[in-house]
Amino acid sequence: MVDDQRFQTFLELSEAITGFGRVRLLGTGQAELYFATAERVVGHAIMDELLTAFADLPTRTPELLRLHLFGNEMLGDVVRNLVKLWFGGVWYQLPAIWQQAYGPAAEDGTFIPSPDAYVEGLMWVAIGAHPAGAKAPGFASWAVAPQIPLS
Amino acid sequence: MHLYMNIRRRNDLDALQQDETYDAVIVGSGPSGAILALELCQAGKRVLMLEAATETGKGFDGYQSLLTRFYSRVGKDNQSPFPVNPNALMPRGSELRKLASGETNSDSYIVQSGPYVSDTVYTRAFGGTSMHWEAKTPRMLREDFKTRTTFAQGLDWPLSYEDIEPDYRRVEREMGVAGEVEDHDGLDLSFPPGYVFPMHGLPLSYLDQQVGKGIDGSSVVLDGQTYPIKVRPYPQARNGVPNDKYDGGEGFTPQGAVASYQIDQGGRCQGNTNCVPLCPVQAKYHSGKTLAKAFATGRLDLLSQAVASKVSIDGATGLVSEIEVKVYHDPDHSAHRTIKVKAKIFILAANAIETPRLLLASGLKSSSGLVGRNLMDHAYLLNWALLPEVAGTFRGTSCTGGIVDLRAGSFRRNQAAFAVDIHNDGWGWATGSPFSDLQQLVDQRNMFGAELQKGLVDRLSRQLLLAFMIEVMPNESNRITVDPSYTDALGNMRPVLSMTIPDYTMRGAAYARQFARTIFSRLGAQDCTAYDPGDYGLVPYHGENYAIRGGNHLAGTHVMGTAKNNSVVDRDQRSWDHSNLYLVGGGSMPTIGTANVTPTLAALAYRSARAILRQLDGQTTAPSGLS
Amino acid sequence: MMPTSAIQDLHELYDYLDAAIQLEHATLPPYLVALYSVHPGTNPDAVQILRVVAVEEMLHLTIAANVLNAVGGKPDLNAPGFVPAYPTHLPSGETDFEVGTGAFTPAALETFLKIERPGMSGRGARQLIAKARNRSGSFLGRHPRDSGWSYYSIGDFYNAIRDGLRTLEEEARKSGGTIFTGEPSRQVTSEYYYSGGGKLRAVTDLDSALAALELVIEQGEGEDHGIWSGDGELSHYYRFQQLQLGRYYEPGDMEPGRPTGAEIKIDWDAVYPVKPNIKLSDFPPKSELLGVAKAFNDAYRRFLDLLTQSYNGRPELLLEAVPFMFSFRNMVNELIRNPLPGGGNAAPTFEV
Repeated sequence: MVDDQRFQTFLELSEAITGFGRVRLLGTGQAELYFATAERVVGHAIMDELLTAFADLPTRTPELLRLHLFGNEMLGDVVRNLVKLWFGGVWYQLPAIWQQAYGPAAEDGTFIPSPDAYVEGLMWVAIGAHPAGAKAPGFASWAVAPQIPLS
Repeated sequence: MHLYMNIRRRNDLDALQQDETYDAVIVGSGPSGAILALELCQAGKRVLMLEAATETGKGFDGYQSLLTRFYSRVGKDNQSPFPVNPNALMPRGSELRKLASGETNSDSYIVQSGPYVSDTVYTRAFGGTSMHWEAKTPRMLREDFKTRTTFAQGLDWPLSYEDIEPDYRRVEREMGVAGEVEDHDGLDLSFPPGYVFPMHGLPLSYLDQQVGKGIDGSSVVLDGQTYPIKVRPYPQARNGVPNDKYDGGEGFTPQGAVASYQIDQGGRCQGNTNCVPLCPVQAKYHSGKTLAKAFATGRLDLLSQAVASKVSIDGATGLVSEIEVKVYHDPDHSAHRTIKVKAKIFILAANAIETPRLLLASGLKSSSGLVGRNLMDHAYLLNWALLPEVAGTFRGTSCTGGIVDLRAGSFRRNQAAFAVDIHNDGWGWATGSPFSDLQQLVDQRNMFGAELQKGLVDRLSRQLLLAFMIEVMPNESNRITVDPSYTDALGNMRPVLSMTIPDYTMRGAAYARQFARTIFSRLGAQDCTAYDPGDYGLVPYHGENYAIRGGNHLAGTHVMGTAKNNSVVDRDQRSWDHSNLYLVGGGSMPTIGTANVTPTLAALAYRSARAILRQLDGQTTAPSGLS
Repeated sequence: MMPTSAIQDLHELYDYLDAAIQLEHATLPPYLVALYSVHPGTNPDAVQILRVVAVEEMLHLTIAANVLNAVGGKPDLNAPGFVPAYPTHLPSGETDFEVGTGAFTPAALETFLKIERPGMSGRGARQLIAKARNRSGSFLGRHPRDSGWSYYSIGDFYNAIRDGLRTLEEEARKSGGTIFTGEPSRQVTSEYYYSGGGKLRAVTDLDSALAALELVIEQGEGEDHGIWSGDGELSHYYRFQQLQLGRYYEPGDMEPGRPTGAEIKIDWDAVYPVKPNIKLSDFPPKSELLGVAKAFNDAYRRFLDLLTQSYNGRPELLLEAVPFMFSFRNMVNELIRNPLPGGGNAAPTFEV
């Protein structure tokens, strides 16, 4: 896949695994960084496999995503990491067993790719809150019920 | 809305060594040191302040760099914004591990031996621990000042609530406290008629309100007494809505962020839910706000990256003659120069661990031998549950409300009192939420997409954490010592901490657990509390295990009293042994009750400032006992 | 024929104050879009200054509403045409200049400087100049009763208001009355809104009205174009100028254009390329992005409605408006980080 097409597929994959739309994902300003971060850790080839596996799905139902991505021995840990990266802004170190089977991934470890990755975590959006220490909702906003997107 | 921070810095070490014009040297830039600096400078005195840490955080950009560091850290513990400085280390929870009885961990800054490990921390930074304090500002209760007489527990203060009350008001002005007098109804304390806090109280969080709906108006029975309970707001040193009735109708002007240039920040609290470890907008009071005013007098000088290493006594007079200071250039290199500074009055305001550490490292145990002893810190017991409905957790200040009805009562003859905090930041303190939950939902429960979003709401937005702040009475065997085998990069001896949680406190803890279960059942909440047997703070008590957390409310280690043989300092925090030495801060407090210590130690700083001014102006010569 | 700059009666004064409220609001969208066009974590100095100025424009808006309320008027921020279509125009002497929404660029900074210090025709002046009657597009600073004429500058416009307040009050007093008949409970005071620079005080008489307007002018361009105001506050003009000159003013700096404080560096590349003066018609039809842009406009309308209510006897609602403003930030950021298919990035359109 050519670069832009790979990134577009990454965005579509991200929509499917986060449940958030493209505008919201791009609205974090972190999409390129996450794509680059994941690819840097797992390598171009594995990222290609992930994107291809996703692009090849006949439909993007949760069942097929489970079967071919989350349930894939190699891709499962990577795609779960992407979910955590989008929601929490943290790249978590891949399991040792993954490293043994599909590594070495020299750049692996538990880290926050940029200070804003923490700030842009989607978990806070999901619960109608804000990351501790950022995106404050304003004086006294805490006194009323939260606005939760999916409720 | 800002305070200019224009620091006058001493870099001329040679001249500084010869300088004998200072009225006072203050060690430490936290709230005690800052208040003393401001009071003395405003009275025309010249003051030199020594700060062991760098000046990062003094200005707007430096402060922002702390925030960026916080964002970048995977482990967002309460010291995460503050870089590691081997020349002025600070305790960090991340360096602790469980210890067997008698086993010693000397890898952490504070050296401790098992079985109980305290995770208490303080911040060695410009601004001291006020950089990361939560800024709840309850006053101590009247009965907290006389627990020996009233309950045959702890020690009586040589001061009464009435003695200290005017200074609490000074603290509330200086720190800009938001609160309501009515919210203290039924508590054993009083305010002058017509008093209002500088700012109106912050509203209770939606979470607090949900808890209140379930328990307000109910009661518990303890020691034969019935105690009605309700959720009420805490007073907080955090900018809110100014009360136009304050100061006889003069109103109050909140203090914003500090900066060396004009910015506009630090207005009303924006609800960042990050009071600890760092308010991103400086709506929370930190001592830099007081120091900015002290520097503006032109009479305060700062020597930073300067670790006080020895207090020297003139053998003939018993007076402090000088303080030896190790001045380093680079936090990452131990190269330093040792100089000596002089003044008429020496003030140690380095906190209740660093002050006794410095004294003991200087060979000064005091006539009573009590330096370093009676170490106190609140024992925290955490209880956590899931509420039946979404409560909007993870919003607000770190804590807006709690239950304070068991701060006082006759039961204190037998067991410790407590105050309960409702944590707006969920289970974070207990379990590492919300990141631990995210990992669990994704890795173990295999959630993603919209299902994960709903799962997060279900898991996070119903979280309720009740943190019980349980009193700990003074006990001479709970102590700080030093040992030449444990030193830091500059060769200064590190603190060695020995602590056990007394049975009096554990009776309170066991009741706290029971009380939490009662609350949870009234709320229909799912009790998720579980103490890990591998917890480093585990305390077995009557067949149950309790994980006791430190409260960072350090006190007692240079205790105040009525005479040289029963205490280290007098009621003005002046050393009985050395009449030009003041030991200020929580270390002077004979008890801590169930109040966060900062408002009280800050009130004592005002008292000491008056005593020091009297002494400098030649009005007193001898320490003051009970008059 | 040139209309008079002398305000004839209370109703004309209302028109002027309505126009002042509109004017103070009109600078908010350009400042906000520029502010949020900056990449997160970059350009902290520019972000701080833009934020402060935007917050103080809110203060000015509130002050103008207080003055209107004091003389018995009714602020209405939801009146048709209250939010100008961008680009709008502001007068600056014989010519006028365009003010639009867009990214934070050197040109935008230049415009902001002009907004905060348009050339006045002279101290205390209130000169009118002719404008082409059929001029297209929106224009601020017009004579409220004769759109063919505009004030020479915003300063001139405010001078006309100050004169009007004085003469109308003088006339009213002659017959034993006052124009300050507004309900005091409609005043918004610091209790409901505070931020840097200047307490928000109730306007109850001529002195407090003139002092309130003085604060607006002083915070904008500086008293007599001085760097510092009476209470040591930097005017908006000099705050922005710091960005242009790359250095902060510090206390003691007295010479305009010669700040001696800390250095400021601006990374002009760390800015999203927001499409200037974007409209809903620039968005792909039926797109998710268009939905967000519309949702923003809905929210902004509700915000203006909340402000209108706060300025009409319910000042406590201003506290509720605050969380609203904070939630904008997230929506604006989201829009600005999304590229448009035709080039440039999205932004709020403010078509309420």
